[in-house]
Amino acid sequence: MTDELNRYLDDEVGDDALTATARTDADAWDRMVESFRAAAPRAAAPAWLEQNVMRDIEALPHQGRLTRALQWLTNPTPVRVSPLATGLVVAAFALVLLLPQTTPGPGPDPTAGVARGTPGATTTTEDTGPVVYVQFVLEAPGATSVSLAGDFSDWEASVTLADQNADGFWTARVPVRPGVYGYMFLIDGTEWRTDPRADRYRDDGFGNRNAVLAIAASD
Amino acid sequence: MVSPVERTDAQVVRDVLSGDHDAYRLLVRRYGDVLYGHALRMAASHDDAADLVQRALVQGFQKLRTCRDTDRVGAWLFRILANLCKDHIRSPRRSDISLTALAGMLRGGSDPASDAEGAEVRSRVWGALDALTPEQREAFVLKHVEGRSYEEIAAVMDLSVASLKMRVHRARQALRGLLEEYA
Repeated sequence: MTDELNRYLDDEVGDDALTATARTDADAWDRMVESFRAAAPRAAAPAWLEQNVMRDIEALPHQGRLTRALQWLTNPTPVRVSPLATGLVVAAFALVLLLPQTTPGPGPDPTAGVARGTPGATTTTEDTGPVVYVQFVLEAPGATSVSLAGDFSDWEASVTLADQNADGFWTARVPVRPGVYGYMFLIDGTEWRTDPRADRYRDDGFGNRNAVLAIAASD
Repeated sequence: MVSPVERTDAQVVRDVLSGDHDAYRLLVRRYGDVLYGHALRMAASHDDAADLVQRALVQGFQKLRTCRDTDRVGAWLFRILANLCKDHIRSPRRSDISLTALAGMLRGGSDPASDAEGAEVRSRVWGALDALTPEQREAFVLKHVEGRSYEEIAAVMDLSVASLKMRVHRARQALRGLLEEYA
């Protein structure tokens, strides 16, 4: 497949822009695509489908208000964190932590209450500062596995997300040092997906875009 | 009972979540055919397609509270179905379909003679999609069989246009051996 032919099949150029050889290939592709369309099975949903769906729904365990309230209280709830909000929280947290250092005498550890990051994590900008935990969330109903790769993991999909509530929301809490990171989700080990809820994106140089996470430095 | 007055998708979702489960019928009726058509083209089996759509619609009901853009609940249901279809194609339990059965299911022309002649070609052409990964097959079917634009597919599938193009290009590369039939 040539780029020229792909551009034609992607409706980016007309056949008048093709060379004679490419036009011959394009005609063959047009005939083949038409075959696929002509042969494609088409049918309306069977009449009994609606009845079966509604029957299955009625058979589902009934959830009263009390049950839902208990579930809300006991089930972990995914929290969506935007990079900007995360940065502001980190900055505010760091400010609070640094204040005691201005007083004479021994003070609390500036990183008290903040866990250390994973030793192998790398950053694109800084490699110092307190580790913060970022909650990554991806809605991927039907996925069997979701992992995360980014600058902070040398683009190894080593961070595994979990669908703890079996509701299609995959989450992971990842220790990250201040810096700016590109990242992507990997679904079922084959499908790369850009975080649709990221605040920023950047081209990866291969025609796709990575989501960008920015964690502000503490000082 | 479902009111005959036309309600928007968002209104239907609100009613269902308020306890009017029967209102979900409206969504089943609105999107059942579109979902079934896609499942049929992905699974190439009426029984499997019906099962996949039924599971997708029941899952949709169970997860309805998680649907954020209720005005586009149809696209949300489509994504649930699309993921189930891809899992189904990957599943080792997927029932193999004989070429004869496939040829019988695929559409033919109005002329019985040419239909018989074309049945084998149609089944061979359509069966070639089995060589694609589930993601490539999905992208190829949506782009070239269902005739949707990249932008439309990207919006429904929540993917970038660049990712979709890459999948379609790879699908074409995998199918180029079929070109001899049409040269």
